[in-house]
Amino acid sequence: MKKQKKVVPQRKTPFSVYMKRYWQLYALLLLPLTYLLIFKYIPMAYIQIAFKKYSIVESIWEMPLAANHGFEYFIKAFNNKDFLYALRNTLTLNLLDLVVGFPAPIIFALILNEICFKRFKRVVQTIAYMPHFLSWVIVYSLALQLFAPDAGLVNMLIKDLGGEAIPFLNEPAHWVGTYIGLGVWQSFGWNSIVYLAAIAGINPELYEAASVDGAGRFKKMWHITLPGLKPTIIVLLIMNLGNILGSGFDRPFAFQNNLVMRVAEVISTYVYKVGIKGLQFSLTTAVGLFQSVVGVIFLLLANWLARKLGERGIW
Amino acid sequence: MKVKSTSAKIGDWIFVLICVLLSVICLVPMINLLAKSLSHTDYLIRNEIYLLPKGFNLDAYTTVLHDMKYVRAFFWTAFLTFVCTIFSLVMTTLCAYPLIFEKLKGRSAINVFITITMFFNAGTIPNYLLMKSLDLLNNPLVLIVPSCLSVYNMIIMRSFFYGIPDSLRESAEIDGATFFQILTKIYVPLSKPVFATLALFYAVGRWNGYSDALMYMKNAKYYPLQLLLYNILNNINQVEVATQEGFSAPGLSESLKAAIVMFSTIPILLIYPWLQKYFIHGVTLGAVKE
Amino acid sequence: MKKKILSILLACSMVFSMAACGGNTDTQGSATGNGTSTGGAASGSTDEKTTSELVDGKFAETRKIVVEIYDRGNDGGSDPTNNMYTEYIKKGMLEDHNVEVEFKAVPRWTEVEEINNLLAAGDAPDICVTYSYPTIQTYAQMGGVLDLSQYVETYKADLPNLWNWLGETNIYWDKDPDNGTLWAIEAKLAVSNRVLTFVRQDWLDKLGMKAPTTKAEFENMLVAFKDNAETLLGADADKMIPYSVSYDVGWRAATLIESFLDPDMSDKEYYINGFDDRKLTQNGTKEAVRLLNKWYNMGLMWNDFALYGSGDTTEDSMMKAGYVGAFTHNWDYPWRNGEDSINANLKRQVGEDAKFVAIDCFEDSKGTYTKFVSGPIDRKIFFPTTNDEPLASMLYLDWISDPEHIQYLQIGDEGVTHTVADNGAIATQAATGDAIMNSGMNIDYTITCNGLKLVDENITNLSRALAYPGADPDDIVNAHTLANTNLRIGKNVNVGAITAEEGVGDTLSSKRDIVYDNAVVASEANFDKVWDDGIADYLSAGGQAIKDEREEKWNAAFGDATQLP
Repeated sequence: MKKQKKVVPQRKTPFSVYMKRYWQLYALLLLPLTYLLIFKYIPMAYIQIAFKKYSIVESIWEMPLAANHGFEYFIKAFNNKDFLYALRNTLTLNLLDLVVGFPAPIIFALILNEICFKRFKRVVQTIAYMPHFLSWVIVYSLALQLFAPDAGLVNMLIKDLGGEAIPFLNEPAHWVGTYIGLGVWQSFGWNSIVYLAAIAGINPELYEAASVDGAGRFKKMWHITLPGLKPTIIVLLIMNLGNILGSGFDRPFAFQNNLVMRVAEVISTYVYKVGIKGLQFSLTTAVGLFQSVVGVIFLLLANWLARKLGERGIW
Repeated sequence: MKVKSTSAKIGDWIFVLICVLLSVICLVPMINLLAKSLSHTDYLIRNEIYLLPKGFNLDAYTTVLHDMKYVRAFFWTAFLTFVCTIFSLVMTTLCAYPLIFEKLKGRSAINVFITITMFFNAGTIPNYLLMKSLDLLNNPLVLIVPSCLSVYNMIIMRSFFYGIPDSLRESAEIDGATFFQILTKIYVPLSKPVFATLALFYAVGRWNGYSDALMYMKNAKYYPLQLLLYNILNNINQVEVATQEGFSAPGLSESLKAAIVMFSTIPILLIYPWLQKYFIHGVTLGAVKE
Repeated sequence: MKKKILSILLACSMVFSMAACGGNTDTQGSATGNGTSTGGAASGSTDEKTTSELVDGKFAETRKIVVEIYDRGNDGGSDPTNNMYTEYIKKGMLEDHNVEVEFKAVPRWTEVEEINNLLAAGDAPDICVTYSYPTIQTYAQMGGVLDLSQYVETYKADLPNLWNWLGETNIYWDKDPDNGTLWAIEAKLAVSNRVLTFVRQDWLDKLGMKAPTTKAEFENMLVAFKDNAETLLGADADKMIPYSVSYDVGWRAATLIESFLDPDMSDKEYYINGFDDRKLTQNGTKEAVRLLNKWYNMGLMWNDFALYGSGDTTEDSMMKAGYVGAFTHNWDYPWRNGEDSINANLKRQVGEDAKFVAIDCFEDSKGTYTKFVSGPIDRKIFFPTTNDEPLASMLYLDWISDPEHIQYLQIGDEGVTHTVADNGAIATQAATGDAIMNSGMNIDYTITCNGLKLVDENITNLSRALAYPGADPDDIVNAHTLANTNLRIGKNVNVGAITAEEGVGDTLSSKRDIVYDNAVVASEANFDKVWDDGIADYLSAGGQAIKDEREEKWNAAFGDATQLP
């Protein structure tokens, strides 16, 4: 949908005039777009093996089409009980992550914003984002030290106080709680950085004006800070929703154990076992394609919803 | 100087308390690792280290610092991170800036072109083949070029640019500034917070990243530090190996592992405090009367 | 501006070269794509010329081959492509056969992905090694593997060492009975030692008990350990772990599980139920696990075992710290890694007389201690279809199977990697620099041999005891002897490729671990349900299909016979 060009004086704006002015923007875009073309689009041609029978010696144009008009691997995936469990788990864990983990950094940023002691604030910020740097393998082994049913510190303490050990990591429902909880712990500091940067961009005069009007701290948060954060929040929320079927590999892989596999197997670990180690490349690509398509759909829906509510989407 | 009501002061202290608690739970694992790296292995074997080292010694650190492998990887990774961050920031700006202009023809098409790349990824083999045909395998450039633009970060930067009032841009246009000048004279100076944020994201991404080196870099000279760490921590397959192959590779002592973790983590932690000065309040809007 | 034009040109040229590459791979693809059946014939015809070129075992012109070598990323290891041993091999191959050898490093931990990449890019080494036969099968289906059957036959005269060492058994182990294709050659195990049970000798002494010889005695011993935790561990009494297993219960309780199997089980039954090498689907395993479950609920085991993944060193640490009373593991586990071995640590942390000794304690229905070990096969060697020098590669395999060469690779130079004892036995010592062996016994280089194998059989036996620095040689000899009593060695059941086995290996292995772990930790009342549900899941995920196909193929090949001919 073409918007009306801004007409300053009364004259036509032919293409050559447009280009005389706008060529600079295209020049700036050239390098990034070339990069994307080479490094993203060219390998994308390989996505068609989702519909073909993969052969390691043939080029992708030669490989024969898979059964069922190429949908054999999709059908295979959806007929597989384990894949469906993985799908369910991925959705559940991601949604829980979103519900619990998305607000956490925002709240943290708001709290930090209220702190007046500059030095203290900086120190807290730096400490808060330390967990982000620990690899999940390390986090899990530390978690075991704390939460193991027998030898974990926390459970030993509980038992000393006369209680029963809590199966943080070896019972499915508890495991989910621990998994999400540690996810929030690991990311709240890091994710708050974007919000703190956005808060830095809010006009301080607004706060002063509000003080003059007698607004208290929470009124200021509600009427100034949060609206100032709204664009950032919306953009990040939309992008997170677009990633609804994705899942890092490291985190679920490190946390899985055989007693909770029912809830711990997610799409990425499933694909690793079956697709990569099982050498079923077409299946891997088919599942990946499915994840991408669902992600795009969610993204478009979320963006449309945002626009409907009067916000600017990610475009 | 504002005078605060008592309830506000109490609120202040509650927030401080919350921050302290959060800091504690974030700091404890690091202290634990630090203690492990400074302890004697026998105590680690007995799993007796919590917050304080036992059998204090600096052996683990001396071993790491004397091992050229780690020291070289450290400096190489630092250099790499620096180069990548600058390069990536430039690429991101080049991409984000033109897209804020609604009048740009083909804007929606370009947006779609860009966003699709966030979602569709064909997997390791096609990427490997691409690197091979571009002759990037085992070339240090493979750690710089393929990851230079993150669309996610670009969208963040663009959103930030949207937040800069149009009026600034418009008055510059009326004054006859070219797009390039608007970029350098208006947007860049006002975007320090987002540049700092993205610099941090890119720097941390590059410092912590190892999967591209794992696949594409076989020349040990150019291994990033995290790849070395990955090889050490990745005992994931070692036990399978030990049972299949009939021998166990000598593992590193736990304290050495902890020391290496510290060695590869602390430097990047120190970047944020340095970048914090760019998160300045209200740097934007002295110029405009709303 | 100029920079922009340059980058446009660069980009366009790259895009066009992409398309060109696509074209090239097309032609290359179709050549090899059709080549699976004709490829053998094609190179066969070239090689007829080559055989006559072999003068005195040497080629007229220097040939070049690339050999896969694992890169284990060992801290303080040597460069796998360039060290004392690679020099030895290169020199030898050049002198003896006029073949230039280059080593290509493949990371051990991401081996599968790496080989995938290399095969897809046409860059694969000429000689590849893997542990998983179904992997090779899958590659072969895609047309990526050379058929070796004609090479081993045609060049038999030129490959004396290979035939001597591996023999018909290993060379033809994977030969397809119907169409004669041979996708891989099996390396040979020098010893069949597998798994043993170890107990704390000093604890037995302290409690005045004899080493157990039956399951009942073993259980009593565990109970005694638990009840006397204070005496044995003092202040650390609450860390007592009588019997320790890991998440890989099938391996870590192997001797117990095997004791519940019928030692005289027919070959047919053993084969049909034998896809899983941890014996999950064999008859009798359920009762073994029931016993484990009983011990678990009695508090005689390490309660948290299922939570720790395969890389975690917590269990090893507990053994080293002296908290564990008994465990089952590889036959030489307590002595591995010299100073850092379990026994060495026990000496340091607990006392001079603290040690684990190997025992046979799980009696089977005949009162013996039958050990089910796999056939003498180990790694599988295959040639990708990109291999242009099959004869040179076969000569490499022959060279690497020469007893003299194996010996050097395994023990290196005197004074550098070993010392010679008075009786001629070889004692290994830690090496430095590029004499460091990245893998035990250098098996990464001796790809056709796994296990100590010196030229002289006697010396080999004597040396085995000295191969573990810091360990008491008598303990090693004892363990080795026990590991070789009552062996039931797996026989080769060659009924052709079982298609149901392709691609499901890792899934079924994970499920198997899940079944074992959940069954052990279940409450005694729930055991049956948990076990049965788990087995049902395993079978429905492909286990049953494998069983059925194995039975079908067996019947087709052997009719009503239940034993192998």
